[in-house]
Amino acid sequence: METEKKSRLRKFWESISIVLRSPTAAVGLAIVLFWVFVAIFAPLLAPHDPLAQDASAINQGPSPTYPLGTDNLGRDILSRLIYGSRVILILAPVSVLASVIVGTVLGLVGGYFGGIVDEIVMRILDAVMAFPTILLYLIIIAAIGPSPLNVVLAITFVGAPGIARLVRGLTLDIRTRDYIRAAEARGESALYIMFVEILPNARGPLIIDALLRVGYAIFAIGTLGFLGLGLPPPTPDWGGMISEARKYIWTNPLGVLWPALAIASLVVGLNLFADGLREETMRYQ
Amino acid sequence: MLVRDYMTRHPLMADPDMSVVEARRFMGENNLRHLPVVGEGKRLLGLVTRQTLLVDPGRLGSLNVWEIADYLSRLTLKDVMVPADEVITVGPDVPVEEAARTMVEHRVGCLPVVDENIVIGIITEVDLLAHLAEMMAAGVPAVRVTVRMPDVRGELAKLVTAVSAQGWGILALGGAPAPRKPGYWDAVVKIRGIAQKEVVTALSQVEGHEIVDVREA
Amino acid sequence: MATERPGVGSPREVPILRVENLAISYETRYGEVTAVRDVSFEIGRGETLGIVGESGCGKSTVAFGIVNFLGRNGRIVSGRILFQGQDLVGRSERELRRLRGDRIAMVYQDPMQALNPSLRIGDQMAEVLIVHRRMKKDEAEERCIRMLERVYMPDPANVMRRYPHQLSGGQQQRVVIAMALLNDPALLIMDEPSTALDVTVEAAVLDLINDLQEEFDTAIMYISHNLGVIARVSDKVAVMYAGEVVERAAAEEIFLHPSHPYTLGLMRCVPRLGMEKASSYLHPIRGRVPPPNRLPPGCVFEPRCDFARPECAERRPPLKRLTDGHWVRCFFADEVASKGQEALAARWRKEATVHEPQREPTETILTVQDARVYYSVPARRLFSREKPVVKAVDGVSFHVPKQRTLGIVGESGCGKSTLVRAIIGLEKLSGGGMEFMGFDISVPVSKRDLDLIRNIQMVFQNPDATLNPSFTVGFQIARPLRRFRAVPKDRVKDEVIRLLNLMKLDASYYDRLPRQLSGGEKQRVAIARAIAARPELVLCDEPVSALDVSVQAAVLNLLLEVQRELGTTMLFIAHDLSVVRFFCDDIAVMYLGQIVEIGPAEAIYAPPYHPYTEALLSAVPIPDPTAEQRQIRLSGSVPSALNPPSGCRFHTRCPRREWLPDGGRICEVEPPPWQADTEEHRILCHIPLEQLRRMEAVVSEEVRDAG
Repeated sequence: METEKKSRLRKFWESISIVLRSPTAAVGLAIVLFWVFVAIFAPLLAPHDPLAQDASAINQGPSPTYPLGTDNLGRDILSRLIYGSRVILILAPVSVLASVIVGTVLGLVGGYFGGIVDEIVMRILDAVMAFPTILLYLIIIAAIGPSPLNVVLAITFVGAPGIARLVRGLTLDIRTRDYIRAAEARGESALYIMFVEILPNARGPLIIDALLRVGYAIFAIGTLGFLGLGLPPPTPDWGGMISEARKYIWTNPLGVLWPALAIASLVVGLNLFADGLREETMRYQ
Repeated sequence: MLVRDYMTRHPLMADPDMSVVEARRFMGENNLRHLPVVGEGKRLLGLVTRQTLLVDPGRLGSLNVWEIADYLSRLTLKDVMVPADEVITVGPDVPVEEAARTMVEHRVGCLPVVDENIVIGIITEVDLLAHLAEMMAAGVPAVRVTVRMPDVRGELAKLVTAVSAQGWGILALGGAPAPRKPGYWDAVVKIRGIAQKEVVTALSQVEGHEIVDVREA
Repeated sequence: MATERPGVGSPREVPILRVENLAISYETRYGEVTAVRDVSFEIGRGETLGIVGESGCGKSTVAFGIVNFLGRNGRIVSGRILFQGQDLVGRSERELRRLRGDRIAMVYQDPMQALNPSLRIGDQMAEVLIVHRRMKKDEAEERCIRMLERVYMPDPANVMRRYPHQLSGGQQQRVVIAMALLNDPALLIMDEPSTALDVTVEAAVLDLINDLQEEFDTAIMYISHNLGVIARVSDKVAVMYAGEVVERAAAEEIFLHPSHPYTLGLMRCVPRLGMEKASSYLHPIRGRVPPPNRLPPGCVFEPRCDFARPECAERRPPLKRLTDGHWVRCFFADEVASKGQEALAARWRKEATVHEPQREPTETILTVQDARVYYSVPARRLFSREKPVVKAVDGVSFHVPKQRTLGIVGESGCGKSTLVRAIIGLEKLSGGGMEFMGFDISVPVSKRDLDLIRNIQMVFQNPDATLNPSFTVGFQIARPLRRFRAVPKDRVKDEVIRLLNLMKLDASYYDRLPRQLSGGEKQRVAIARAIAARPELVLCDEPVSALDVSVQAAVLNLLLEVQRELGTTMLFIAHDLSVVRFFCDDIAVMYLGQIVEIGPAEAIYAPPYHPYTEALLSAVPIPDPTAEQRQIRLSGSVPSALNPPSGCRFHTRCPRREWLPDGGRICEVEPPPWQADTEEHRILCHIPLEQLRRMEAVVSEEVRDAG
């Protein structure tokens, strides 16, 4: 047991070192970890309450009390950014996870069964994918109203078809392998073959795709927030902050800059990480 | 017995940008006397021999020691080679004796074999001599007899008939005008597995023929 | 004119290619790894050097080193590559291109690697001439047609207008060879050019290579893992092992007097065409090729060598000269050479105790009656009503007695795999019936009951795809045990380890993942998985054809042991006729979805033959350059199963048709009848048996009974 644990630990370090071998992935991981750290220790890091309004300091530039300045209601931008990372770092992964689950199931079913089942599933997904994403978000949120849960639902709905396509492609390839023949020859059920024999072998590309999608989801949440369809105020939402600050861009241009930078850095970090990871795993083959 | 059967395929060749110094080393190392210079697609650009690589002293006369070294290091094959339009070549489907005649006529020891200006081989005097040796079955033990006969149609047939009448096989047969004896022809026949004496007895009976030389070879 | 005159020897000339002490290394994650060390050889004008060795021995690396395709992470560390007297090492890319120019050509295993799928054959061939030689288009095309004629391509003018995918594999490879020869290269490097081809096509390609070499005087470096192929084409042979040349000699010399333990091992581990199941045991080489980053300190072969002494582990043996032109990297070459003679001779002696054939009739376990598997393929034209039908298996009948092995041979596309898949239930039967132990099995696997499923299991061809890469070996062998409840739950692990041991793998393999195993080990695990639930019938679909020869032997021996111990009945598919002969009691020869000859193994390999069997046998490459084998070559390629020829399906390629009156008109019109040679041996042919009986044996008796 002890040795098993040790070998697990060693394997973990090996995979970490593989990630760190790629400078791209390492930089990306550092940025992401920075934001995760910020989100976890938000209460300790934030100098002010993100909701507290200071009527004496409205739309101010950086100052010793408010390092990044204040917004139109006199709230500390830095604190709002710090708390905003919590919101985004929960919503984005959760919504991606949901779309991965939905997409994987659809992709596996379509890819494994093929024929008419595949045809129906894929045509429906094509129809969804034919809409511009932004328009889809707008329609969905407009229909069910803005709330954290609905944001997750919208992102799941928009993201699932892409993942389903990916998983279907992988499934089409994997199901031709002999080990699938062997399982069929053992008379295994379709469920067993899909989830036990096929899915684990699709995990590599799936994880990388999901990582990239977290980036897109952050973007989407930001966009929804900017359009006023994100989280209801006064939640510290980066997209919402940009939208608010935009109105006062002439008096306090920095107010737009900070949340924009936050979104951009997190998205870039995730993309770098995913790209680096993909490169490394490709080379591994 | 065409050039394509006797030439050396895939000869060593050089690039026009090869330096003269390197070419000299290359030819020395590989014991070459002729080196075709080819461009892309093995197109013949020129030919160098050991003589062409000797630098003309007249050209160096006006240069000092350092300049000479520099000049030599810059000198490449395209500066010294015999250009393609002056190189005597031969086609692959030419009879070997024609190739020999061409070489004698132009006093050259080697002919690049070209097919539409592409070098496909090289034929040298050594290849032709090998061909001659082979034609006359050099090195194969047999009775070699030289018969002088009048240069008249039907004479050679008489010789061949005489040999066949004995039931012997001809290993090699060759002929040329008799040296310093116009109007006569010397034929060389090699017969295997028979004693010299028997050959002399059999051939001396042929009318008008004279055995000028006979030996076990 | 007397003919048997020796020619005048030409003076010693410069070899076309001379490799001296070449070392090549690759930059990897684990640092720099030397893939090839101390390799020297030379190839003269018009000479063929065969390089033989198992995968991972550095054969291809040497080839890539010569043409400088080592990729970004590979480099030549030391040594010289003299091509036509000029060193290729250490030159710039531009210089190399100029030096090599069009004087070195390369042919790969997969012809599609060299062909552009979107260009017509004629266009891509002519381009070579137009670009390199600035030839005019029509002139270039005419030359291409002539070159295609020289590689015996049927209807070359028509081929010029086709796209690569419209040609068969053998034809594609001919096009690639023709293309390589267009520039009249001095050196032709061929990396397993015939490996992906069927035996009959391979035989034709090898003949072609021999012809062309004489005509073009090209030096050929021929890389193959197949000793038989090497014996057929080479003048000289270099045996490579773990990045080193361990033995080098003239072809006859090396096959008659192998003097390195590895060479000897390679020869002893392949079944020869004459070997029978009853008489032989293969001698595998134990262990596996060491990865280049973990080479043994002394002789590279020491860990696997039966002759090894302590000093072998300490010091690397130098390449020493045995006789003129015979070089061996072994301290005890003389001993190996003499022992080798005995061992090779002993190979033919009957080791009768190994396996007793069961000749007495036993009950039939599997009956296949007129089985048909048809697929409909998408219609060629839009709006066309009828869908074309591929008759992959068309009216096949046979039966397998209990505890016997039936071998099914035939070229790719003959329907052998489809047939087996139908038996296991992965393919739907379109007609006919199949019965297994008295149960009807003409239904797909999903409709069979668990016990029936348990009793038919399968071993697949590709070791890399046969195991699920995500699960440990233990889990995968345990799965059938759990599923069929073959043993109580608490004893599953013990049973898995017992099975591993049976496969000569120790318990440490339990927790390994497939990617940590070699090909042979994967295949053993796959066999363990197939036999875990004690099936009555195991179907083997080319279980060893993807493995290295030394490993093949071990796996075949294991399968034999399993059969002996468990009394399993087997169906064994293979394209290698020597392996089938060695492994099977009965053999069925398939052509285009039909069985054309069936009978006991000995009867198949001796006359009377079906003309197709005869051609197949004459195409098998025999690893002995002195072996006498009749040459019967089939013309053309296997016709499409979409539109099989009328009458006898083999009539389009049959070399024996002219034996029949009227040039075999009847073959085109009437399906041939079954003719019974003996009760068990039947042949599907129009030619009367008496005439078939008069055929000579394909491989001369002398070779078969040597020793």
